[in-house]
Amino acid sequence: MRKPLVNALRWLVFIAAVVILNFPVIATLVTSLKSEAEIMTNASLFIEAPTLDNYAAVFAMADRFDILHFLTNSLVASLIGSVLAIALAFPAAYAMARFGVGRSWLLPLAVNLRAVPLIIFAIPIYLMYQQVGLLDTRFGLALILCLVNVPLVLVLFASSIADLPLEIEEAGRVDGAGTLRLLVYVVAPMSLNVVAASSVLAFIYSWNEFLFGLMLTTNSATPVSVGASFFFAASGGGVRWGVAAAVMILATLPPLILGLLMYRQIGRSMTAGAVKG
Amino acid sequence: MPRTSRFEGRLLIAPLTAFLIALLGFPLVLDIIYSISRVGFENIRAPEPIGLSNYAKAIADPEFWAAAWFSLRFGLIVSVIQVVAGLGLAVFLAPLFAKRPWLIALLMLPMMVAPALVGLMYRLILHEFVGAVPYYLLEWYGDFPAFLGRDWAFTTLVVVETLQWTPFALLILHSSYAAISPDVREAAALDGARGRRLFLNIDLPLMMPAIGITFFIRFIDSFRVFDNLYTLVGPGAGGSTTSMSIYIYQAFFKVGDIGLAVAASMLLLVASFVVLWVINGLTARKAPL
Repeated sequence: MRKPLVNALRWLVFIAAVVILNFPVIATLVTSLKSEAEIMTNASLFIEAPTLDNYAAVFAMADRFDILHFLTNSLVASLIGSVLAIALAFPAAYAMARFGVGRSWLLPLAVNLRAVPLIIFAIPIYLMYQQVGLLDTRFGLALILCLVNVPLVLVLFASSIADLPLEIEEAGRVDGAGTLRLLVYVVAPMSLNVVAASSVLAFIYSWNEFLFGLMLTTNSATPVSVGASFFFAASGGGVRWGVAAAVMILATLPPLILGLLMYRQIGRSMTAGAVKG
Repeated sequence: MPRTSRFEGRLLIAPLTAFLIALLGFPLVLDIIYSISRVGFENIRAPEPIGLSNYAKAIADPEFWAAAWFSLRFGLIVSVIQVVAGLGLAVFLAPLFAKRPWLIALLMLPMMVAPALVGLMYRLILHEFVGAVPYYLLEWYGDFPAFLGRDWAFTTLVVVETLQWTPFALLILHSSYAAISPDVREAAALDGARGRRLFLNIDLPLMMPAIGITFFIRFIDSFRVFDNLYTLVGPGAGGSTTSMSIYIYQAFFKVGDIGLAVAASMLLLVASFVVLWVINGLTARKAPL
């Protein structure tokens, strides 16, 4: 008797939680689908006449604010940043797990780095970048995104490699494979799951990074997390809310879709990262 | 360990080490040098040592302490709310997730959105003419507060941050709750423990380490809050919403006082070491569990 009632309550709480927690995205999506005129007269969550005009308007103002430029910057910098983080952390994690090298200082450093506000390093990095010409470049931004991701990726790899069976590697050694060959042909294929999961998470974190994008870029390399706010001032006078909403949805869609598709891997990485850290 | 493999090991960690020296070590040295120098953009390569006066300036600045107090209060309040809300949802909704694991994906979505964009979204949602929240408050209660005004900005930011990151607490605590072996619960049930008693005496103690870790992670993240705060209120609300990160950013980019900004960074670094030291102490004691 009571059981179905409690179950119904659970569903009610679940639906309420989904709506409330995702409210910013839902409300922004709704606004992006209203016409400019409707936005001014109807602020409710119901759309009288759905339209894609705002999205068309976003792409039409490419001569002043080019959304594709910002999206490309984010894509390129995030890809380089994530791949580089994995390329640096994977061999290091292997060395820590199998040779014990650096385990006493590199792992604690990486773990603790996650607790240090990176703004502490932001100013000297800005001044360094200014001297070496990395300001406002995608590569410069990618290096920072790599730095942001290295701690998590390293922690995930270190624990997953330690869990791999040693016998296969030993067999490879007997067959005369060197460490590098083992790493590429034996350890990496066995770690594909972790590599995939951590690269998705690293990509999402990179895409969403804001502070360094704000400080280290002015235009050529501006990521969409920073560029989105440019559209708030796009019309000179008041904000064109429909355009702003459409831009925010476009900027949010890539990580949102990745998150939906890969929620299992992301959840596992986040949990492992939290517990191992 | 044969010597060749030690050497190989060093070779394997060399790239990462070099990277960290370049992007962490070198900046840290610069931080230290600039923090004890008179430095501006004109003498960036030749800073002039002046002792600790940058630190003295930061410590004497009431805005520095206001920012530190803001970050501390903000971090503590949002992490407590997030852990409590996340724990409640994780336990109450656990039967749903057990049958349909994908449901949790819908609750994880807020974490996929850039906090900076969430801040921008709230500028739209809370807007007095076009925002949905004022619209419905007006409809239902006939009034709405100035969300980003001096009196309400802090509360608004707490809600914004909490709504985005409660899913993190939910995720970690759900996996810790789901990991409790059914045998333990059955044994307790045989002893007569039910409902609330089962939760308080069995589940909660077993989840305590996860609760502690979740709290610390959320605290660390919200203590350094920058993105959503910057895009939603900026330095607005009469400076009542300046976090430590915002303070440092402004000292550098708005005021152009490199020495002050860097000294404040170093003080923040010391503060994070204190937090880390406390956390490591606490978790080390918990380790035997």
